[in-house]
Amino acid sequence: MHPAFSVIFFTVTSGAGYGLIAITAIYSAFDFSQPMTGAQTLMLSAVALVLITSGLISSTFHLANPKNAWRAFSRVRTSWLAREGLLAILFYPIVMLYVYLVWRGVDASSSTAMTTLALITGVWAIVTVFSTGMIYASLKTIRQWNNALTPVNYISLGLMLGGLLFSWLLSLSGNVSANLTMVASYMVVIAATIKIVYFFWIGTPAGPTINTATSFTARTVRLLDVGHTAGTFLTDEFGYQVARDRLVALRWIAIILGFVLPSLIIWFGLGEGDNTLMLGAAVISAFAGVAVERWLFFAEARHVVNLYHGAQQC
Amino acid sequence: MKLGLVVDLDTCVGCNACAVACKQWNTSGTTGPLTDLEPYGKDPTGVWFNRIRNYELGDYPDNKTVHFPMSCMHCEDAACVTVCPTGASYKREEDGIVLVDQDKCMGCNLCAWACPYGARELDPEEGVMKKCTLCVDRIYDEALPEDERQPACVMTCPAHARFFGDFDDPNSEVSRLSRERGGEHLMPELGYKPVNTYLPPRNKPNIPTYKNETNPIEKVKDWVNRLVAR
Amino acid sequence: MASTFKGLPIALNLPQFENHEKQEGKYTTCYMCACRCGIKVTVEDNEVRFIQGNKNHPVNKGVLCAKGNAGIMKQKSPAKLQQPMMRKKGSERGTGEFEPVSWDVALDYLSERLEKIRNTDPKKLAFFTGRDQMQALSGLWAQQYGTINWAAHGGFCSVNMAAAGLYSIGHAFWEFGDPDWDNTKYFMLWGVAEDHASNPIKIGLEKIKRRGAKFVSINPVRTGYQAIADEWVPIKPGTDAILALSMIHVLMKNDLFDWEYLVRYTNSPYLVYNTPGESTDGLICRDAEGNPQSWDLEKEALVDGSLPEIKPALFGEYTSADGKALKTVFTLLAERYLDDQYSPAEASKVCGVAADDIERMALEMAHVAFEETIEINCEWTDWAGRKHDKFIGRPVSMHAMRGISAHSNGFQACRAIHLLQIMLGSVDVPGGHLAKPPFPKHIVPPIKPAKPTSPGQPLNSPPLGFPTCPEDLVIDDDGKPLRIDKAYSWDAPIANHGLMHMVITNAVKGDPYPIDTLIIFMANMSWNSTMNTSSVRDMLTEKDESGEKDENGDYKYKLPFLVVADAFHSEMTAFADLILPDTTYLERYDTISILDRPISEPHAVCDAIRAPVIEPDRDVRPWQEVLVDLATRLKFPAFTKEDGSPKYEGYNDFVINYEKAPGLGFLAGWRGEDGSKSLRGEPNQNQWQDYIDNECFFEHKLPKEHHYYRFANKGYLEFAKESGFIGSSKPIIMELYSESLQKFRLAGQGLYDGPQPKNDYDKHRMVTYFDPLPDYYEPLEQQATSSTEYPFFAITQRPMMMYHSWDSQNAWLRQILAQNYMYMNRQKAEEMGIVDLSWIWVESENGKIRVQVKLMEGVESNTIWTWNAIGKQRGAWGLDPTANESNDGFLLNHLISEHLPSKSADRAVTNSDPITGQAAWYDLQVKIYPAAAGETGTWPTFDTIKPMPGAEKPVSKLQYQTHKAVGLHRSMRDILTRGKTKRDDS
Repeated sequence: MHPAFSVIFFTVTSGAGYGLIAITAIYSAFDFSQPMTGAQTLMLSAVALVLITSGLISSTFHLANPKNAWRAFSRVRTSWLAREGLLAILFYPIVMLYVYLVWRGVDASSSTAMTTLALITGVWAIVTVFSTGMIYASLKTIRQWNNALTPVNYISLGLMLGGLLFSWLLSLSGNVSANLTMVASYMVVIAATIKIVYFFWIGTPAGPTINTATSFTARTVRLLDVGHTAGTFLTDEFGYQVARDRLVALRWIAIILGFVLPSLIIWFGLGEGDNTLMLGAAVISAFAGVAVERWLFFAEARHVVNLYHGAQQC
Repeated sequence: MKLGLVVDLDTCVGCNACAVACKQWNTSGTTGPLTDLEPYGKDPTGVWFNRIRNYELGDYPDNKTVHFPMSCMHCEDAACVTVCPTGASYKREEDGIVLVDQDKCMGCNLCAWACPYGARELDPEEGVMKKCTLCVDRIYDEALPEDERQPACVMTCPAHARFFGDFDDPNSEVSRLSRERGGEHLMPELGYKPVNTYLPPRNKPNIPTYKNETNPIEKVKDWVNRLVAR
Repeated sequence: MASTFKGLPIALNLPQFENHEKQEGKYTTCYMCACRCGIKVTVEDNEVRFIQGNKNHPVNKGVLCAKGNAGIMKQKSPAKLQQPMMRKKGSERGTGEFEPVSWDVALDYLSERLEKIRNTDPKKLAFFTGRDQMQALSGLWAQQYGTINWAAHGGFCSVNMAAAGLYSIGHAFWEFGDPDWDNTKYFMLWGVAEDHASNPIKIGLEKIKRRGAKFVSINPVRTGYQAIADEWVPIKPGTDAILALSMIHVLMKNDLFDWEYLVRYTNSPYLVYNTPGESTDGLICRDAEGNPQSWDLEKEALVDGSLPEIKPALFGEYTSADGKALKTVFTLLAERYLDDQYSPAEASKVCGVAADDIERMALEMAHVAFEETIEINCEWTDWAGRKHDKFIGRPVSMHAMRGISAHSNGFQACRAIHLLQIMLGSVDVPGGHLAKPPFPKHIVPPIKPAKPTSPGQPLNSPPLGFPTCPEDLVIDDDGKPLRIDKAYSWDAPIANHGLMHMVITNAVKGDPYPIDTLIIFMANMSWNSTMNTSSVRDMLTEKDESGEKDENGDYKYKLPFLVVADAFHSEMTAFADLILPDTTYLERYDTISILDRPISEPHAVCDAIRAPVIEPDRDVRPWQEVLVDLATRLKFPAFTKEDGSPKYEGYNDFVINYEKAPGLGFLAGWRGEDGSKSLRGEPNQNQWQDYIDNECFFEHKLPKEHHYYRFANKGYLEFAKESGFIGSSKPIIMELYSESLQKFRLAGQGLYDGPQPKNDYDKHRMVTYFDPLPDYYEPLEQQATSSTEYPFFAITQRPMMMYHSWDSQNAWLRQILAQNYMYMNRQKAEEMGIVDLSWIWVESENGKIRVQVKLMEGVESNTIWTWNAIGKQRGAWGLDPTANESNDGFLLNHLISEHLPSKSADRAVTNSDPITGQAAWYDLQVKIYPAAAGETGTWPTFDTIKPMPGAEKPVSKLQYQTHKAVGLHRSMRDILTRGKTKRDDS
């Protein structure tokens, strides 16, 4: 699949934003030994909303006819994209109410109602990311996406980025605990595990072949002519292909930047004093890694229409 | 009704008549224009609803060439419709035709991603998704003679390799042909229940050889003149 | 099987998509290729909404190919010429410096020039036309002008097929005959990827496939029609004759041929002198009246072989009245083909088809012909007045075209195929190969090519005819060619369609003489329709050695004046001195005449017209109108009244009122003053409208008793004579043995009592190739080319969605095919280390080209091939210079020389069939090797052609529609309430 920048930007930033707000809200709902101040909660929420909103705006850039974008909520009954859209939009009043109450000084862990609101906010954010993942996971035409790992992967990476951001942003105001950063690093490990499983999982060709695509199952089928000299919408959109060795290299880059470096920084790079810089480095590295991962998510996806263009299997 | 096409791979000679007839009708049709880019320049491209690909089966010299026209299969379980967020893509209840309401599409491409058959193409100028309409603007047009109320591709096919009709009707030509000739669905394993079927190439007719084993002729003298009146 | 579809119940709640009140359906005839299908054009505001096949039309019966469907984009082409142009005075020819002129200026200038030539030496005008469909008019024009230098493009297209047919069976493949698609049970297709009979072949193949008849294709390449063949026979190019003859060998060995058919309808029982070294050798023994002699088995005497009820011997050696040895034709034939060199084992070595397969195919056909005989009950009367109660059919049919035609042994190869058909008794019988009226004709039609020319006088016969003996050659007393293309000379004695591919070369070299003016209509002679493209382009700009300029300060060229008439800006128009812009096919009147290239069906006499469906938006004129105008200005006798005033007001008036013979004109329908007569009758002033009222075609269905055996069918023969198709109602005797060829051979042997070739090379050609029996010889170029050095055959195929260079300008068709590749066998490529889609050099003795290679299964191992005529010169045809056609596409033509390799002849001799002059495009042999790293893109390329003054600018975005789309809308209610997509659940 052709990796569109707007979609990569959207899924990475809004995923991180939803992860951050989910962690913030859920964290705020519980009476931990190291509670956040209201100001911290507001700051974290603000950053998350900026990320979410810029991501959502970016997502409309890949629409060929954005003037109809408002219609995108119409088909929640069947469309994961509509569901995601609706969840994303409905999230705003919820999160705004949560932020408003925090601003008004209501402590999230102090009342059941507020706790519930914080939890709803956090879970809603995660469900929204889940629905983003489901847009892809629901496509039977793309074997690399059409599996449970896809939404899990979206959630775990969103939470990972959110967790790292959470630690770093808290460290900016000086009171991030080592435990909290350790939790963030576990999130990295979980996301890494899921992604690595995914990489292995998509390595085995499966599903439709050029034979089932053309109904000639008894003999070798080779494409002779695709029927048009230049590219078409189909070849532009689905024909995207990256050399195998480049893909492997990019996978390593994604793993190193996305998972290895942030973990190493947290495990070995942090000292007693101000860790803001180191955590910042971890965040930047993780974002870069996840951006590469997201690019690979598209670039490695092989749509079955390629079978008609000569691929033996996708 | 369950309207769709039957494509006969036994007679399709790959002439592209159906593809161009489709282009011609539909560029002024209900979802027209079908934009072309660089029509006279490098890498000309455009929106087509029907494309013909060619495949080779087997290795030389036991190879066979197959011409393979493809357009929308008007799936019973059309994933393109399921994924459409705006409701622009829909399957008509009356006849099963899968259409895109051009005024409601936001051009997100997701339907094209969901379609395994490459049946949908985005018109980059109009910003909307376009696809085979089964010539919905022909097949119900009372101003046309009855036998012309068919998709343009079917009407024009010089090898009569295309048939249009109602698969719900077991006595329709399309149902009968699919039944009798073992019509195949493409990628059935995806479960979209495509309506269109492809009739596989037939087996070679077996012609006996006529051999005169008893008196092989070796030289002219072996023949005896017969009395045949001019 | 045409669909039985009868329309759906009409749906409610649909908008009115089309405003039918604003639309008008007009009928005319397609011209996207030479198939000439009937079309119905829906016009909306002088724009074409839709072009569809006319379901009542005899040719296409409602269907239409890709090209026909793309007519809109031909009409919208930016390559359309806008107005007459003259090369700027003093500018170099070919640099594209033109200035617009008015029609008056253009035609005044041209007619003045033509008049001067006509009154001095009319053959200094050469007039050659491309793929036009008005040869009856342009031939008449040339005859009236008085130049013998006229022909159409048949010499580089299909003359081998036409000539072989007309010299063997009295009709031929393509326009002159068709397989009996409705009845045949075994169909063999030779060398046809796509043909001009585009839709009829497709309709026919579908019929036979659906009926379960067997379809065998003989072709080195498996594309197009071969794809659906039940059996594909990847033959080596140029060896079809040996395959056909080997099958004949098998039939003979097994005593399997139609004895009665041969005796009754062919010259098999005629007696031939067997007198080697004498002037009678190989000639048919005739009585004093010229009747062929046969041996009557009952009378045991020589008898007039043309009489009915004789019992002629098919085999045997006899003695003539004057004591000379005689053999029957069929004895000669049997002696020849029983020989072991024609055995499947030996033939297999030449053609690459397995011996078992050759034998099997022959015996399968024999089975179908003799064991699955068709009998159609119908009373008919044969030529001798004998009544028959049925037509007996041998349901084996064949069709052949370019793969046979475009070899220098194609005439004989095609004759070999016809021989095979005759042996099976399958010519013009149910299930066999049927003639299309006005064919069959007597062998051969009694028209001789014009020879003498004189100033100011018309020719005394048409420029083209059918030579039967050396006296008919168009040569001077020294044996030198009189025609500029050397047709009907010793180089090509039976060049019935001329040699258009030699005209420029010969004229520029002054061999046999220089000319003054060349008029080219609708032919791309500086590009894909010429051999040796690069050097022919150089020749077009070759200047007089003196270097002087003329009185106008203009360069003097070896080809002094070049007129190009065409509708589009081709590679050829760039070289013109005068451009006369034609209309498109949707903008004009035309006739598709029986006098020309007929569109009849086997069982119906048909012709058709074109009538304009839209108004031209440019200053262009139909070429036929221009021809009539010029004829009038030049006061040709046929176009001028006795008082010197013009006889016709224009083309339409000419078509109605011109009579070739009393009652016979260009159009056969609605003749007679009131339009009540068919085929023959007085001119009808309302004839055009009568055609228009009948959807622009005329179809005269033949009665059932005239459907078959027309070569010997009394009723049909009399009808054909009355209709002017043939001059006599005598039976048409098919010629297995060609006495005409033997006369040329005798001339080569020095035994002919008449003109004889003077030099050894010509003698050699006559003796070797003018075989009265069809035979195989290695193609001429290949004889002189080392197959170790040049191991590959290189050929072209025709894509179904393109017609030569006509369609690269077509915005829709070129999306399908804008770049051609060189296709080769995958396994062979892997052996040679050639990688898919890499660039390779292809080199012949004539030059080399760089091309991109594509690997495939369906091509014979030693053959490489490409689609014909896709490569374009930069800037031609309204394309952007960056177009794929000009940068990645290529022409094979650069590799093909118009002359045979010098070692094979004592002079420059055309690379053509030595009998007919048919251009030998497919004799090419090449070597291939990978291009160096970094060498990509096609080579050679040429300068970019300048756009014509006033030309439309090609757009970068096209959104064609004749009206704003009427959309179909889904209700918001439906969007919000519908659940799953499955219709059943909703």
